[in-house]
Amino acid sequence: MNNTQAKVGGVGIGIRRWWRSGLRTGLALIFLLLGACTESAEQARTPLLVFAASSLTDGFGQLEKAYEQAHPDVDVKVTYAGSQVLRLQIEQGAAADVYASANARHMQALQRAKLVDDSHIFAHNQPVVIVPTSNPAGLVSFRDLPKAQRVVIGTENVPIGTYTRRILAQVGSEFDAAVRTKVVSQENNVRLLRAKVELEEADAAIVFRTDAQSSKRVTAIEIPTEWNVRADYMLGKVRGAPHGQAAAAFVAFVATEPAQAILRQHGFLSP
Amino acid sequence: MRSLGGQVGAGLGGLLLVVLGLPILALAISAVPGDLWHGVQDPLFAPALGLSLRTTALSLVLIVLMGTPLAYWLASRRHLGVQLVEVLIDLPIVMPPAVLGVSLLQAYGRRGLLGDALALFDIALPFSTAAVVMAQVVVAAPFYVQAAANAFRKVDGDLLLVAQTLGASSTEAFLRVAVPVALPGLAGGAALAWARSLGEFGATLLFAGNLPGRTQTLPVAIYAALESDVQVALAISLVLGGIAIGLLFALRVAPRLWRLRAVEVRG
Repeated sequence: MNNTQAKVGGVGIGIRRWWRSGLRTGLALIFLLLGACTESAEQARTPLLVFAASSLTDGFGQLEKAYEQAHPDVDVKVTYAGSQVLRLQIEQGAAADVYASANARHMQALQRAKLVDDSHIFAHNQPVVIVPTSNPAGLVSFRDLPKAQRVVIGTENVPIGTYTRRILAQVGSEFDAAVRTKVVSQENNVRLLRAKVELEEADAAIVFRTDAQSSKRVTAIEIPTEWNVRADYMLGKVRGAPHGQAAAAFVAFVATEPAQAILRQHGFLSP
Repeated sequence: MRSLGGQVGAGLGGLLLVVLGLPILALAISAVPGDLWHGVQDPLFAPALGLSLRTTALSLVLIVLMGTPLAYWLASRRHLGVQLVEVLIDLPIVMPPAVLGVSLLQAYGRRGLLGDALALFDIALPFSTAAVVMAQVVVAAPFYVQAAANAFRKVDGDLLLVAQTLGASSTEAFLRVAVPVALPGLAGGAALAWARSLGEFGATLLFAGNLPGRTQTLPVAIYAALESDVQVALAISLVLGGIAIGLLFALRVAPRLWRLRAVEVRG
């Protein structure tokens, strides 16, 4: 310990001159390296960066393939996360071209901040309860939810969490409170919720119908329509998108019938 | 005139200093007292702070209680088995926290290795405060054990022998000679382990989840707050950053000041 302290103390004087004389060379070297990196990654195809809500994972995966087949000059790259995380990243200057949100709130916030030009609803979805296929808590209907020992729900900010709170409140405060006492974790995207049920660490979760449909390890339990909500998915081109033209073309493509058919295949409803 | 190689080296080294220092400087500059107050008053803050302090205190007690004998054993023996154990202890330092989180689930989760055994006693670890402590112990213990073993290695073996020839049992020699002599090293290791457990995020999020008051520690709260109120995330970051700087000061500067004073007193 004493040795390292002595060494650190010995450098001291002369460091400013040392640092100034070398700064330029060092910076030049770094920029050279950075330049080399970006150049080698650059391709002839236009990269199109799409930020999409986690629940769109399967649908957009196939949309990406279909779009690239029709437009071989474009390389679609989709990043999936909770809508609120993607919104935050766009607010912090992430170079996204297209944003697809699982609710209106985050899209509208970006439009108010003049970060997205205009947007429209491109799909609908509906929350359901999921349980592991082994169903350890023996849930049969939505009303059984408080019987689960461990429930996971979305955080307040992720769309599925907002919808979940609305549904529980609509059933009544008693049911709401009974379920809340069983909540063991709040996850920040819908796929994390599903993973907890797939691992059987949670007895139940509320996710979208599409998430339930694309997993073999979970069983869906319907939420009665009187309490359920309809989730609106919104799509918009990010203002100042690095690849504006391609972004506009992709947004238009999602509204076409072939694209809508792909989304319906994955359980989404067309607007 | 400095050689070209020297210039390049100085430039790269200087650049790293900037890369390391700038974010901390930016965080410190962003500390507007009003915003900080607003962040501290957020309902996320107090429960997360309380939970972090409670869990890290418990983790530290567990680490010191179990780690000290282990470190002493490591320091007093030299054969292949000991070296293997040392490698095993170092593993969590190089392992990504996310991997540790998944491993903890695989070991103690419902479908994990010990899941059924734990269920017999009606124990469910994932998503509990106990899971937070376990994650902290796993990631932080290696820092303490390593530092403690090094401290014990520096204890003069003759001292222990003398103590024993004067009638002390080996336990007494350990408690009354080895521990006091190694104390500065033990304290340093404990401080490092505490800092690491206070900052633990990845394994906690995966193994313990995120529930305010039960498993949402300060780092997890930063992650949650970032999505709703950046000011709150900033305030929590400042608090944690401040604790870290204070700790570093205590570790590096305080012993030197103390030594200086000791010299003055003696002179």
